[in-house]
Amino acid sequence: MTVQLWALAMAGTVVLAAAVLETWRSARARRRALLATAAPASQPYILYFTGDGCTVCRTHQEPALQRLGDVRIDKVDAVADRTLADRFQVYTLPTTVVMSAEGKALHVNYGYAPAPKLQQQLAEARGNLRAAATA
Amino acid sequence: MYAPLQTVDHSALKVNQTGIVATVLVAFVGSIFFRPLWALIPLLAIVLLAGTFNPRLALFKQLYFKVLKPRGIVKPRPVLDRPEPHNFAQGLGGVFLAVSTVLLYAATPTYGVVAAATGPALALLVAVLAFVNLAFGYCLGCQIYFQLGKRGLIRA
Repeated sequence: MTVQLWALAMAGTVVLAAAVLETWRSARARRRALLATAAPASQPYILYFTGDGCTVCRTHQEPALQRLGDVRIDKVDAVADRTLADRFQVYTLPTTVVMSAEGKALHVNYGYAPAPKLQQQLAEARGNLRAAATA
Repeated sequence: MYAPLQTVDHSALKVNQTGIVATVLVAFVGSIFFRPLWALIPLLAIVLLAGTFNPRLALFKQLYFKVLKPRGIVKPRPVLDRPEPHNFAQGLGGVFLAVSTVLLYAATPTYGVVAAATGPALALLVAVLAFVNLAFGYCLGCQIYFQLGKRGLIRA
């Protein structure tokens, strides 16, 4: 019984440490990615990092992106286009980046991002664009 | 550059993950009452490693294809996918269980309780990761596969 309890404590500690590390890594990557830029466009758009081996991309992320309607989505193969993937600190797939019309990263989502979350982020990006236009 | 996408039955993967979680739990809890049940860990390692190199030897997947699917107990869920990341994840689980086995049988009580618990803890972590994949669809092995591919270490 003692061995099992110790094993449980050890596994629990590793899981907890991994969760803390993942939170820290994701926050650091997001902070760095928000400094990155890409090509400007007439409207806010989404950079969608995917890969051939990414199952969640096909089963969850792509249907969510299709629900967004008339939004420009630049699909990027994170393995083939490593330079761009590294610029946005892509460490997991899928990764979606909501870009402003000026080509600045506004929101970075590591992992699956549902459609309502992306819609909200795009609405914020469009609001920023309107505010800039009226200023 | 890439191997073409294939139809991968994700129900087979789910049955495999369920099998891993169940086996480790039986070994872990059962060994409290009957210590030889730890032998399920090396058996599981063999099943996972053998199944990685030869899908016909993947016990849980065969259970799905030969019993559960034909009888309609588990419905198929075909997805256009690549089997390589999933196989890699399964192999990684097998390697971790093999290491767990070594620690399980090498760490005698003279090494102390912490050393004796390292092997079971490793097996428990494999079960946790299989459960996370089963419940939330997050496959850590697949992410490692992607990272290795991105660094050009394997053809991802």
